[in-house]
Amino acid sequence: MLDLSVTKFVKSKLVEPIKHFFVQIGELSFFAGRFFKEVFTPPFEFKELLRQCYQMGNRSLVLVGVTGFIIGLVMTLQSRPTLIQFGAVSWMPNMTGISIVREIGPVITALICAGRIASGIGAELGSMRVTEQIDAMEVSGTNPFKYLVVTRILATTLMLPLLVVFGDLIALYGSALVENLKGDVSFQLYFNTVFDALSFGDVVPATIKSFFFGFVIGLVGCYKGYYSKKGTAGVGLAANTAVVMASLLVFVVDFIAVFVSDIFYEL
Amino acid sequence: MGKTTLENLKLGIFVVIGTILLLLAAYLIGNRQNMFGTTFEITATFKDASGLQNGNNVRFSGINVGTVKKIEMLNDTTISVYMIIEEKMQKHIKKDAIATIGSDGLVGSMLINIVPGAGNTKLIEPGDELQSFSKVATQDMMNTLNTTNENAALLTADLLKVSHALTQGEGTLGKLLHDSSMANDLQQTITNLKYTSNHANSTMAELNKMVRSINFEESTAGVLLSDTASAVKMRDVISNLDASSREIKSMTQNLNIIIEGIKKEDGAINYLSKDTALVGHLKRTMLNIEQGTESFNMNMEALKHNFLTRGYFKKQEKKQKKEAKELPD
Repeated sequence: MLDLSVTKFVKSKLVEPIKHFFVQIGELSFFAGRFFKEVFTPPFEFKELLRQCYQMGNRSLVLVGVTGFIIGLVMTLQSRPTLIQFGAVSWMPNMTGISIVREIGPVITALICAGRIASGIGAELGSMRVTEQIDAMEVSGTNPFKYLVVTRILATTLMLPLLVVFGDLIALYGSALVENLKGDVSFQLYFNTVFDALSFGDVVPATIKSFFFGFVIGLVGCYKGYYSKKGTAGVGLAANTAVVMASLLVFVVDFIAVFVSDIFYEL
Repeated sequence: MGKTTLENLKLGIFVVIGTILLLLAAYLIGNRQNMFGTTFEITATFKDASGLQNGNNVRFSGINVGTVKKIEMLNDTTISVYMIIEEKMQKHIKKDAIATIGSDGLVGSMLINIVPGAGNTKLIEPGDELQSFSKVATQDMMNTLNTTNENAALLTADLLKVSHALTQGEGTLGKLLHDSSMANDLQQTITNLKYTSNHANSTMAELNKMVRSINFEESTAGVLLSDTASAVKMRDVISNLDASSREIKSMTQNLNIIIEGIKKEDGAINYLSKDTALVGHLKRTMLNIEQGTESFNMNMEALKHNFLTRGYFKKQEKKQKKEAKELPD
């Protein structure tokens, strides 16, 4: 009797989650595979793609901009005292420039988008699944995967790098503003030093990484929404798990990207 | 439909601006590494690259003119560094310029400094190899520091001995430190010195006063001090004095010779100066002369009273009186 309950406990608390985890990864991989199959075969849903791009790109710009500005501002303010202590305050542009362009800009933007876009896609597709609109599409002869999923994943993949560029620039502006106000560093000197410090080894991997971030966010959002469980709770769960999983995968992708770029750009 | 067009327009603007920014950033970064624009390549050979990396800056007289393109190890003591230099800088860099490896600030990355040479040689050409100068490496510095440290250790050991001896009151310095009576003496000496210096001060003040009171324009000292003409005269005087002294010298020499001669030879003077009997003779002769003049005087008196010569003497007397009368007028 006791043995049975222990086995049941172990099964429910340990085996099931692990099994669920691998199932999820498997399903996600199949989902990604299907995306790559569908993305290169006509018909192409250009209008829907543009609409999604607008929704995800333009609509996120303000959010990304404000976040980036504050991050740049705060990072500079926080590191100023330490750098002053070391007498290295003139290295502020180099430090903030490299850290924003390499890491903080792409990751913060991706996390913001994971919160905004992945949850949006998860909730939207989830409710479509719940209200059987996806099934209706299939019946009417439209490929719902092509119309709903491919466009969204493509849109996030294409838009995120651009958002990262804007986010980086605004964050650098915020940092330059602090340096300008507190440290008498002109904007020209600040940006000159930043571009002096940056190399292609900083910008190229960060840009490539952003494409993957976008892809992961779109993929997870669509996957969670597309395979949403029935009922209104299913929609909420789809939106919730989409954000969590997308955020987590952003970090995993970031780790892999840094690992790989470190090998390529090892100096 | 209108809404969709507006959305597409906004999206288009967003995408275009984003792409332009990305390309601009790429261009700016590439420009800093001299990937665009016309460049040429030169090399320099070093013994030690000191941590130089590809892409490090190359400076000429403190201006960024290029970057390090490639670092190649030729053998265990020769490292070739290939540099890309902006072509517009070619007209400033000459063949005798010297390349050194330095660092950008205390914690900065390494860079190559090209220092202009002293001579007036030809301009550099693509592919040229610059002379290089390897600065003192950190290791050498550490070695020197090590020697200095050892010396410092020896020094401090000696100092310790000295200070120990001092505290124990050994040697002159030790006694100086410990002898309290000496301090009193010193104090006394200093007081005396003070007193003396005060006196010296007042003396100086008086001297000053004296010097000030000298009329420099008219007095002898003034003339001596300020008149250039008198300086010339003085020089003449001194030269004359010199000549005179020479003459005096020769004269004294001659005199010496004469005196020597007098001493040695059998001349009259020698005889006079040495013969003592002569003095007695001379004395007697003088006495005889005296007696002679006395009797001569008496003879003269007798002559005055003689009738034959009386007239002449009276005439003489009258003449003398007449002259005495005329003189006061």
